[in-house]
Amino acid sequence: MTLRLEGLRLWRSRQPALALGAVAFFLALMLLGFYTYAQSRTGGSAEFRYTYENRSYFNGLTFALYAFYFGFVLVLPIFAATEGGAQLAGDTGGGTLALLLSRPVSKARLFATKFALAAGYTAALVGAFLALALTVGLLLVGWGDLDLYPGVLQMTDRPQHLTQSEGLARFALAWPLASVGLLAPLAFSFLVSVWTRSAVNAVGTAVALYLVMYVVAEVHFFQDLRPLLFTSYLTFWRELFREEVDWPTLARDGAKLLAFTLLFLALAFRRFRRREEA
Amino acid sequence: MDAPGDFAPVQVVGLGKRFGRRRALDGVSLEVGAGEIVALVGPNGSGKTTLMRVLAGLARPSSGEARVFGREPFRERAQVMRRARFAFAPPALFPGLTAREHVAHLAAVGGARPGRAEVDAALELVGLAERARDRVRTFSFGMRQRLALAQSLLPRPELLVLDEPTDGLDPLAVLELRAILLRLREEHGLTVLLSSHLLLEVGELVDRMLVLAEGRPLFWGAPAELLEGAERIELTAEDTGLARAALAGAGVEVEEREDGGLSLPAQALTLTDAATLLERGGTRLASFHARRPSLEQALLARLRAAREERP
Repeated sequence: MTLRLEGLRLWRSRQPALALGAVAFFLALMLLGFYTYAQSRTGGSAEFRYTYENRSYFNGLTFALYAFYFGFVLVLPIFAATEGGAQLAGDTGGGTLALLLSRPVSKARLFATKFALAAGYTAALVGAFLALALTVGLLLVGWGDLDLYPGVLQMTDRPQHLTQSEGLARFALAWPLASVGLLAPLAFSFLVSVWTRSAVNAVGTAVALYLVMYVVAEVHFFQDLRPLLFTSYLTFWRELFREEVDWPTLARDGAKLLAFTLLFLALAFRRFRRREEA
Repeated sequence: MDAPGDFAPVQVVGLGKRFGRRRALDGVSLEVGAGEIVALVGPNGSGKTTLMRVLAGLARPSSGEARVFGREPFRERAQVMRRARFAFAPPALFPGLTAREHVAHLAAVGGARPGRAEVDAALELVGLAERARDRVRTFSFGMRQRLALAQSLLPRPELLVLDEPTDGLDPLAVLELRAILLRLREEHGLTVLLSSHLLLEVGELVDRMLVLAEGRPLFWGAPAELLEGAERIELTAEDTGLARAALAGAGVEVEEREDGGLSLPAQALTLTDAATLLERGGTRLASFHARRPSLEQALLARLRAAREERP
């Protein structure tokens, strides 16, 4: 019943509507970028010849994948952190955690409920993002197969071709896998939020630390640090968009992300169980 | 499994709580028996809420012991909450829920499944039946206070702990709150521990009270006991200076009042003795009467005395 209460609270808050609005805005920006970039750069430019030699390369699936990739690393983790921060630090700061703890419910159950709800919300947001990106892409950019070329976003090291139906099937698979990927930043935001009593501080700190780790994971200079950062594995679902999916690699990186998730959750719960709500 | 029923609802022995260097509670003891209504009284920052938070298992004692129905609240909070309910100030509620949803869903958090009639009865009890379908964010502070009380009554607890429940309530609502608590005690044997910084509001309601000052216990007993030894004689004389000197010369502890009169402990002098003493001192007694202070005045006198005694 705690889940029902928490679900109702989330539903009645402005958060889902704001998140969907932000996703729609982001997709509109991406669409604008896609059009203007394509128009200005595809006129026989040698620099982009390899990528844009064929105008059919631009289609709804390409748009959806690139929009989702950017959204996944830059937008969705912020919503995950916002939800994580709101769940514990928000309730602590607002005094409603004491209200919940004044009921016969264990801290373990409360913590698990809050994480389950936040994970479900994040998965729904990922699904909504993908659905919206595909709808916008297929309707406004165009139908066609999914062709990927090396270089751009490092999606692939050699050209890849997936038929439209194969591409759509991979997008369907990307939903659960990307949702699993976001569990790690979500758990990380829970870990941050048990150390602070203000949702704003929790969200700000979690987002800042996430961005630092993301940048460190992307910079070659910090190559030795990469295995230690969950951000290095976040986009493991990209493997799905290859002609031949390397399933063992996909499973290994997914397992690493789950291990990070469990570690963050264990540390967060340890602190939550022991701390005073005074 | 619940503790056997022979434990007192609240037992606190030598409780201390520190926040860093600050001592929020120091050597506090009290026992609240079943069916009793007890108040924690003291100025802001005296430790009332901290004591309640320790009892709710939200904070760990630094020293001493606190038990609710024989259980240690911090370690056994969920079990404690099966029999006790806490409402802290200011009332923290979920603004997006309606009053009815609030009461129903919070009751369900503990596994209870109250019916619509039960929920509406709780709202009716606190005068919020008309607003059952309104979102909490539209409620005034006083209405939130009443909703906090309603939600704490479902499912019916054995012990109700209310932090500053009269804050934000109009005088009529305070009277209604008193009536509700007395009725719940009468009909269901409810034990109540409530806090207030306004003694006037709780003095008539409670059986016993614990007065705290800067975290230390200052008084523990029935409100009437607070008045013991607090009665004073107030007298005026034609010449206050001479009267004061005469009384002091006779070894009577005299205080000068703001209105120019003198105040002395009850039993210090009879009317005849006072008249004689003042006559000898060269002045005449103008008025003489015993004054029984209000609870609030008695409490203030004790708080002042405690402050003066502080090193």
